[in-house]
Amino acid sequence: MMLLAGTVPVEGLPLTCGAVTAGGEFIVVDGRRVPCTQGTAAMISAALATTGYLGLEPPQALVAGDTGRGEGSRAIYKNLIENIARLAPRVLTLHYCMPDMSLTRKLCDVVGKCDHRPIMIADAASMYAAKAAGLAEVFDIFTPDATEMAFLADPEAIHPAYIARHLFDTDISRTPELVATACRNRSAARLLLVKGETDYVVSAGRVVGTVAEPDVPALEAIGGTGDTITGLVSAFAYAGLEPHEAALIAARANRVAGQAAQATPGTRVWQVIEQFPAVFREHLCRWSRICLAGGGTP
Amino acid sequence: MTFLKRKKPVLEGGGVVLFREVQEALKAEKVVKEAGYGVKLIAPPPELRKGCDLALEVNLVEKPGIQRALDAKDVGYVGVVPLKVGASELLDIVKVTDFGEWVMVKAANMKLTFEKRSGTIVNTSGGGCPDIPHLHAQMIDRKLTDVARPRDIGFTLCALMLDRALEEGLELWQGGPQS
Repeated sequence: MMLLAGTVPVEGLPLTCGAVTAGGEFIVVDGRRVPCTQGTAAMISAALATTGYLGLEPPQALVAGDTGRGEGSRAIYKNLIENIARLAPRVLTLHYCMPDMSLTRKLCDVVGKCDHRPIMIADAASMYAAKAAGLAEVFDIFTPDATEMAFLADPEAIHPAYIARHLFDTDISRTPELVATACRNRSAARLLLVKGETDYVVSAGRVVGTVAEPDVPALEAIGGTGDTITGLVSAFAYAGLEPHEAALIAARANRVAGQAAQATPGTRVWQVIEQFPAVFREHLCRWSRICLAGGGTP
Repeated sequence: MTFLKRKKPVLEGGGVVLFREVQEALKAEKVVKEAGYGVKLIAPPPELRKGCDLALEVNLVEKPGIQRALDAKDVGYVGVVPLKVGASELLDIVKVTDFGEWVMVKAANMKLTFEKRSGTIVNTSGGGCPDIPHLHAQMIDRKLTDVARPRDIGFTLCALMLDRALEEGLELWQGGPQS
């Protein structure tokens, strides 16, 4: 099972868990419709597009409504702490949640005692909490953008709003330097996919690949296009690819989908997501060892 | 005979509310608790002390919501700052990217993009706190001048940074339609 957890901006939505189905601008979890916009829903939707193409079991989602007061976030953490050992997912991805260092620590403790430890992936504020609590190394994959990479490299910051000014001023070309600092400070997951003008894939502190083409600058402005990368990398890891392969393919697929959507800064993320099946059909076989019948050839 | 005491839950919020008066700290604890936030009375680190030996440990990420709760009840406080001595100040610089018909303003991890001609917000991106997707839905397709300020309706540092981006966007827009 791939379990994707995070809050959604639906006021009053109770803790909801179930297999995900898609419906254009919405995802459906246990019969409840959630708009496919920036955040957890975009991440889940991208993962679903990937499992659908690969013929894998669809993701299980654990979502709750939260518009910033934190109740939904805490409900998600508490549910995971109680049930993760029983659920035994192969991949666990944590996404938009109020960063809570104490609950993150409890969850990591429980995961550490699981018979089958999941592949642990974090993005958004779940990644902030993991870093701030000194638990980054418990995670297999983080997917920061350039500013979040600077946050990981700043030993004192507990949120990107508090990173040192000189780190905010850096550009993406300094990523290897920031990665080295974050690794030295034990603030990095085993694998980092740093999203930016050039995407960097870093394994155990070493840059193992970069992706810079196609160049679609508008993607940075579109809310949710970083979230889709997290969903893609989760799904490809679930499919059995090595984390660095999953990350490289996720970075490529997101860019090509943006290009296919003819993305402008006004494009909506679901318009990018709906390109993924065609992108996979055309490119996935060439990018990976995954070649499906009728799924495109090198 | 040895008694094992159950440990009280540790907050680990990374932020501290500083006060000049003990009474204000005690009142603030009640107000912040009632507003639904985690809170713990602590002695502030000597380097941060502002005249009062009591302070509140809070989740720094929830700074805007906590400040709003305190202001609503007229509780006097000196500031909400990182608990770690030596941490940086809140970022106050922004970066602007010109996309031709659109301008993107970035403050820390938050980005806001508007159409130059109309001043309409076409996207917000970045961040990771739970109020950000909600603010995204509230802001897009609306004019810069017509949206509620994220600092007033959001709860987190991500919302505060989105507010910074909006503020800069407003300045650019009110400086005249962008060429």
